[in-house]
Amino acid sequence: MNVQKLVWLEFKQHKSQLISGLLAITLGIAVIVGIRSISVVSEKAVAINLDNLGANILVLPQASNVDNYYSADIDAPTFPEEYVERIATSTIAGVDNMSPKLTRRITINGQKYVLTGILPKNELASKPIWQNSGLFGAELQASCGESPVNEDLGYKDEKLQRKSVDSLAMDDCMMGSSAAQRLTAKEGESVVIEGKTFKVAKVLSETGTIDDDRIFAHLHAVQDLLGIKDQVSAIEIMGCCNAISDGLLGKLRNILPDTRITTIGQIVSTQIQTNKMMNKVSFVFLIIIIFVGGISIGNFMWANVNERRKEIGMFRMIGFSKTIIYQMLLAKAFILGILGGVIGYIIGTAAAMWLGPEFAGLTVNAIPALIFISLLISIAVSLIGAIIPAYLAGKIDPFNNMQEG
Amino acid sequence: MILRVVSLNKKYQHIDGEVDALKDVNFDVNQGDFVTITGSSGSGKTTLLLTLAGLIKSTSGIILFKDFRIDKATDGQLSAFRKNNVGFVMQSFALIPYLTAIENVMLPLAIFNRPKAQKYNAALELLQLVGLDNRKNHLPKELSAGQQQRVAIARALVNNPSLILADEPTGNLDPSLSADILNLLKKINREKKVTMLMVTHSPAAAEFGNTRIHLQNGRIDNIFSKEIKMNLEAVIN
Ligand SMILES: Nc1ncnc2c1ncn2[C@@H]1O[C@H](COP(=O)(O)OP(=O)(O)O)[C@@H](O)[C@H]1O
Ligand SMILES: [Mg+2]
Repeated sequence: MNVQKLVWLEFKQHKSQLISGLLAITLGIAVIVGIRSISVVSEKAVAINLDNLGANILVLPQASNVDNYYSADIDAPTFPEEYVERIATSTIAGVDNMSPKLTRRITINGQKYVLTGILPKNELASKPIWQNSGLFGAELQASCGESPVNEDLGYKDEKLQRKSVDSLAMDDCMMGSSAAQRLTAKEGESVVIEGKTFKVAKVLSETGTIDDDRIFAHLHAVQDLLGIKDQVSAIEIMGCCNAISDGLLGKLRNILPDTRITTIGQIVSTQIQTNKMMNKVSFVFLIIIIFVGGISIGNFMWANVNERRKEIGMFRMIGFSKTIIYQMLLAKAFILGILGGVIGYIIGTAAAMWLGPEFAGLTVNAIPALIFISLLISIAVSLIGAIIPAYLAGKIDPFNNMQEG
Repeated sequence: MILRVVSLNKKYQHIDGEVDALKDVNFDVNQGDFVTITGSSGSGKTTLLLTLAGLIKSTSGIILFKDFRIDKATDGQLSAFRKNNVGFVMQSFALIPYLTAIENVMLPLAIFNRPKAQKYNAALELLQLVGLDNRKNHLPKELSAGQQQRVAIARALVNNPSLILADEPTGNLDPSLSADILNLLKKINREKKVTMLMVTHSPAAAEFGNTRIHLQNGRIDNIFSKEIKMNLEAVIN
């Protein structure tokens, strides 16, 4: 028997009351962890070379959600693939490259993936009608050079979404690294997607974005598979910087009704705003849990101290000093803090991993480092909340035991 | 002499006015004495015991435990004094409900830095002394009132105190159990040479003391000592 053992025995004794004391702090930590887990992913998504993207135009259906650049096209409504031709045959200048896409969420063996149909370069180029338009000749760097600043920082836009693919057979697919891992698929093997067998032509290297969970296949194969004939959910266009400032977006809007045309740069900056807001929200939550969590732990500890007045009086009677009484109560608060931090982390991470794909189209991974921050916040809040009850416990008259009859 | 009380006064402050709970109390206690304190309800018995333990601050007067001034000590000094020298037995037993019998006995040792096994063995030995080693893993609610008080007595002894303060230890027990507990306290007093101060209502229980103090309205109105009586008888004869 020592003081720690005593604290632990008491703690176990009253574990059914814990929920009330821990609720606020656990939920607070869960919210912070959840927001942080999601915003880390979405910050990763914008950690791309903005300057390179500046010339990228995204054509989306009118009703699509453009809050998130990486998921803007997922499950978006569709528009006719024929729009590609409309742009190609128009007289609009400054369009360098086009890449139509159809993206849908699919399930394989009960797990979620994102399937994106893309049109390889050779197929676009082979369409006779576009041959004369000079669409695919020029490289972009000439018109939209890389900013030297970004080069210094080591940014490189290596995400597949930005790269065009030279060729892709109708029954080939390419897999993001994490999709391949989850399906245990290797290059050259075959995999069944929505009832059709595809050969894994390539496993892509990790990007840290939702692309890692994507499976890319031929646009027309995907259209067939999903029964969305001749429809796409997005067209990406490489435009020249000068052309964009000359009103390229407006010209495109004129010929493509019911679409939302925006530069990727705009979407990304919207997303940066969203991220900033999320960080603000989690800061506000931090303040809230420090107050609500601290008060609720303090309230719980105070109820506990009151219930144990006789017991604490007894401790004082047999020679426990005030310091030991403080230590016992703070030790209890410490255990509460650990529980709140761990449970909050688990709930927050689980919620983010479940809600991320469901609502934002982001694959959220657990961030182990957050457990330390959760523990730190939770323990600090618990200890602060317990200070006043512990102080009052030290003041309990030791002789209550003797005076009642 | 282990305890000396000189001109002890205790006034309680109360909204209804001051209460003179102890008035000019003087007495000495020798090592190994069994002192019983009687008096009607409200006469100041409990107050006296608590003041001796340093659990209540006296208003004036001197309390000496060996050469330690209880009346002048700080809270920390008093905690250490109780930890090392005093055992308590209460009318209400005051066992911790979530601790087993042996854990309750070990409780005062929680703040001693000793090996686990040593603490356990000390507690077990005392449970044997009070005849409850076969109930060591029982919770208080699984013990009878008499058994609970025995556990409390074992707890009072575990820190090897030189002084046991007992406030109506048999107040909650029926007469036959009371006799058991009183005999146990007497045995401890005799065999372990522990000085005993016991507050009691019952005249029969008071007979156990070799020194008997009677309080009335906070004053000692009668103090009886077997030794003095024996000495007087010797002088007379
Ligand atoms: N905390 C207190 N505040 C005010 N008066 C008290 C307090 N405790 C005891 N008293 C009064 O002091 C007197 C002695 O009480 P106490 O020592 O408990 O008597 P006893 O134990 O002999 O019954 C009583 O008149 C009681 O009302
Ligand atoms: Mg009393």
